[in-house]
Amino acid sequence: MLPATVLLVAVLAYPLLYTVQISLSEFDLATFAPADWTGLDNYTAALANESFQNSLVVTAVYLVLALPLQIVLGFGIAYLMNAEWRGRGVVRALFLIPMVVAPVVSGGIWKMILDPLWGGVSWFLGLFGLPPIDWFGDATMSMISIVLIDTWRSVPFVALIASAALLSLPSDLFEAAKVDGANWWQTMRSVSLPLLAPIIAATFVVRWLGAVKMFDVILATTNGGPGEATNVVNLFIYQQAFRLLKFSESSAMAVIVLVITMILTFVFLSVSKKLEDRL
Amino acid sequence: MVPIRWHQHRRAVALGIAVAASLTALTACSPSGGDPSPGGGGLGTAEEHVEITMMSNDAFAQQWQDELVPEFNKAYPYIDVTIDAIPYTELLAKGLLNGTDTDPEYDLITLDDPWTPQLAEAGVLYELKTDADEWTDPDYDWDDFNTAPLAASEWDGGQYGVPLRSNMLLMFYNKDLYAKAGLPEPTPELTWDEYLEQAPQLVQDTDGDGTDDSWAVGLTWVRGVLSPPFWQAVLNSDGGALFDDGMDPTFATDAGVEALQTQVDLLEYAPPGALTYNYTEPLDAFRQGKVATIFTWGSAFKSAAVDPNVTTLTPDQVGIQTMPVGSESASTHRGIWSGSMFKNTKNPEAAWALLQWMSSKEGEVWTTNTLGSFPARKSTLAETPAEDWLVPVLATLQSAYDVAAEGEMWRPRSPESNAIQEILADQTSAAVQGQASAQEALDKAADQIDELLAK
Amino acid sequence: MSTLTEARRDVVPIPETPSPARRRRADRRRPGERARIWSGAIVCALFLLPLLWMLLTSFKQQRDIFTVPPTIFFDPTLAQYIDAFSRGDLGPKLVNTVIVALGAGLVSLVAGAMAGYALSRLNIRGAGVIGALILASRGVPPIALAVPMFLVARTLGIMDTHITLILAYCSFVIPYVMWLTRGFFLALPKELEEAAMLDGCSKMGAFFRIIVPISAPGLISTFIFSVILAWEELLFALVLTNRDATTVPVAIAGMAGDTETGANWGALAAAGMVTVIPVVILALVVQKWLIRGLADGAMKG
Repeated sequence: MLPATVLLVAVLAYPLLYTVQISLSEFDLATFAPADWTGLDNYTAALANESFQNSLVVTAVYLVLALPLQIVLGFGIAYLMNAEWRGRGVVRALFLIPMVVAPVVSGGIWKMILDPLWGGVSWFLGLFGLPPIDWFGDATMSMISIVLIDTWRSVPFVALIASAALLSLPSDLFEAAKVDGANWWQTMRSVSLPLLAPIIAATFVVRWLGAVKMFDVILATTNGGPGEATNVVNLFIYQQAFRLLKFSESSAMAVIVLVITMILTFVFLSVSKKLEDRL
Repeated sequence: MVPIRWHQHRRAVALGIAVAASLTALTACSPSGGDPSPGGGGLGTAEEHVEITMMSNDAFAQQWQDELVPEFNKAYPYIDVTIDAIPYTELLAKGLLNGTDTDPEYDLITLDDPWTPQLAEAGVLYELKTDADEWTDPDYDWDDFNTAPLAASEWDGGQYGVPLRSNMLLMFYNKDLYAKAGLPEPTPELTWDEYLEQAPQLVQDTDGDGTDDSWAVGLTWVRGVLSPPFWQAVLNSDGGALFDDGMDPTFATDAGVEALQTQVDLLEYAPPGALTYNYTEPLDAFRQGKVATIFTWGSAFKSAAVDPNVTTLTPDQVGIQTMPVGSESASTHRGIWSGSMFKNTKNPEAAWALLQWMSSKEGEVWTTNTLGSFPARKSTLAETPAEDWLVPVLATLQSAYDVAAEGEMWRPRSPESNAIQEILADQTSAAVQGQASAQEALDKAADQIDELLAK
Repeated sequence: MSTLTEARRDVVPIPETPSPARRRRADRRRPGERARIWSGAIVCALFLLPLLWMLLTSFKQQRDIFTVPPTIFFDPTLAQYIDAFSRGDLGPKLVNTVIVALGAGLVSLVAGAMAGYALSRLNIRGAGVIGALILASRGVPPIALAVPMFLVARTLGIMDTHITLILAYCSFVIPYVMWLTRGFFLALPKELEEAAMLDGCSKMGAFFRIIVPISAPGLISTFIFSVILAWEELLFALVLTNRDATTVPVAIAGMAGDTETGANWGALAAAGMVTVIPVVILALVVQKWLIRGLADGAMKG
């Protein structure tokens, strides 16, 4: 316990407290350190910042689109992957690859594939006489494309966790249901779903914790555009801090995001716990 | 103080090092804002080399380390130079971090065009014209620089850097595609009105299969640091300015709206997917012969027209000139990488020696001919370059410098320059995207900038 | 909670080599089962398509990358790999990435697993809350840590070192390890170490001699996922390194942002392939334990 506590205090708790300190003071660029205490000024400024509000909304939209899609796909793929055959282990290992490709490269590769002029997708559509799609052509399409790319990168991990979880389902219950003559739908409703609910909830929490941090795929594709349509909060704060050197304001924003994330995480955790206890 | 050429006096240099070393020890606790250390650190001796390090934009750091440093060492054998590649997005923040450090790791930094005011204001840069005067070679000719590139590292009357790698926003055109469209080749006198009139004809079906496969134009449309300069250049060519002398926005005018509308309208004559065009994408379209004109940074010329591994075009097929003419002048936009010294450097003399060499006529001629990067001195531009394709490029560069100096065609000069550009990028991108009209976008940008500068 | 724990004990370990019984079963597979296998393989192939594109791109000259229609047949060249290693100076950066990723993985595994074990055996009321906190700390936005780390690293003079980056990565890998390992230690019956302690083992002795060997598959898969987390990390690496400890993702980001000749997607794809291959090999070697480890741990948040 001790080593982990020491490490976590050093690399997690201390920096967080430092961030809080910076967020409550004016950052002096000439000494590159927090200087005068300003109270909550940075927080009021952050909350009044239209672009920051926008980035929170954009992040929410992204999460609402991406999370359910990734969970559903993840479990679907997990079900397929769990079919017993010789190639199963290899398929699973290969499935890890999208997770490992550097985000900048995967963003770029996807941009090439989706490009309406020379991308593989528009070439493929052209074979059927279909017009190319401008995947990043407007705010809505850009968001959809971002979600798609992020899903490609994230679903494998969801699928692996889900696949592990599905394996741990008690098989005797299914046997019993079969003996009782239940059809597929009945089995699904009265056996599978209740058993799956807590697993889905737990997987959701895992994916949620990864998704709230997402910014690199966007950095590599739309850079937050068009307009500010895909400017998620992490990208926005990063640019405020390192491009504009607004360390105080960006720290305040980071703390706000941290609080929101923590509150939602605890809500999700308690829901997930309730689902588990209900069994 | 009389300039002394230290490298001619080894004993004096050794003494200088000793003085510097003791002064360094004494002043180790006063990070910035103090007087530059009078010792200067010397230029090194065979026995004891001086080490200097530079943080540089990663696009050319490696090239400099591998090719330029050995060349520099022919003139200054006792200065060991290390050049580190720092990603563009981190360079400014890391520069400030180093500049405010009591024990700095870096002596030198490359600064992008809009960064000087912010760093100079924070007090982390060395003033070169007066504070480094004692180590300046008497032959170093400040007046030979073109005004525009030198002004990039000027702030509040001080000279905080020298141009190392100059660049201007220019127009390249594909001669074959103009011929196919039956249009006369562009000249530097081509106006924006004429250009926009011709643009529809440059969208054409070159292979006769019934669908358009070649377009008029490529430029940066995606939201980012590179998206506002095009609009700014057009505005400047119509005699418009971004700000008045009191830093009040003056771009939300008819001229500003019209310029932004030009950027929006050109999308119609661009290849599908042009809305995500940043720097590389329009360049790729041009290299593949898919667009007839491209408005981009001049340094791209080699990769657009010369290097056969990269481009399908040859120098004969590609024309280069300043961007079209507005009501006042031709248009361009300045983008200079300047070299600056940190005020807390322990070796200002050696660091300044490197900057001087790189920006001297000798250094510029070498970098132009060997690395193909762009010089800033009038005399260098007047020389005949080693390779033929550079001839029209350098001629265009000289006229672009003149146009830029005349029309002040550069990004806002302010410590808030980056923040201002960010607002402009957001709002002009909203107009390009069709989320707002050009007028609405510029009004909003002006409001936000007023608010930013009022703080 | 208890159902799952019991359920897991019922899981029969799946033999990885086809037993005669299984082969017989395969012969009379229902068509539905066959369709499931096929669609699983097809989905996997679909997910790998972009990687095929990347692989092809990495062997193209720059002028062949953007063409209409996409070039399938082209003169393959190793130029991009050579370019990535020479101009992009990828070699040392790859070494740095390996050091940092393995280092962060190991430190986190040792510290995190011990803490995870302690948590799973803690008989205090707060244990659940601590568990939740640890899980939640995975959601701390890295940007909230990057600025202070940047400042602290300078103050301590440890900018641009492997150890700094390893420590920074611990901030998100340790919680991950603790969360996974706590799960599978909870699933282990307490009688195991009680028996060991009766035999004269200390608590630590019981942990290392009994618990660790039993949970080896779980620890291995945890290690793999930890390494992957650290392997592709970009933000901390950008902020905390300059030269000596620069990792591959930073180099790749730089190549993409080249403002001189433009991004060379061939070299980027080549660099991407170089980073993918070691991890894929590692994953293939330990594939048997990947899922079992997750199955033991993941579901016990």
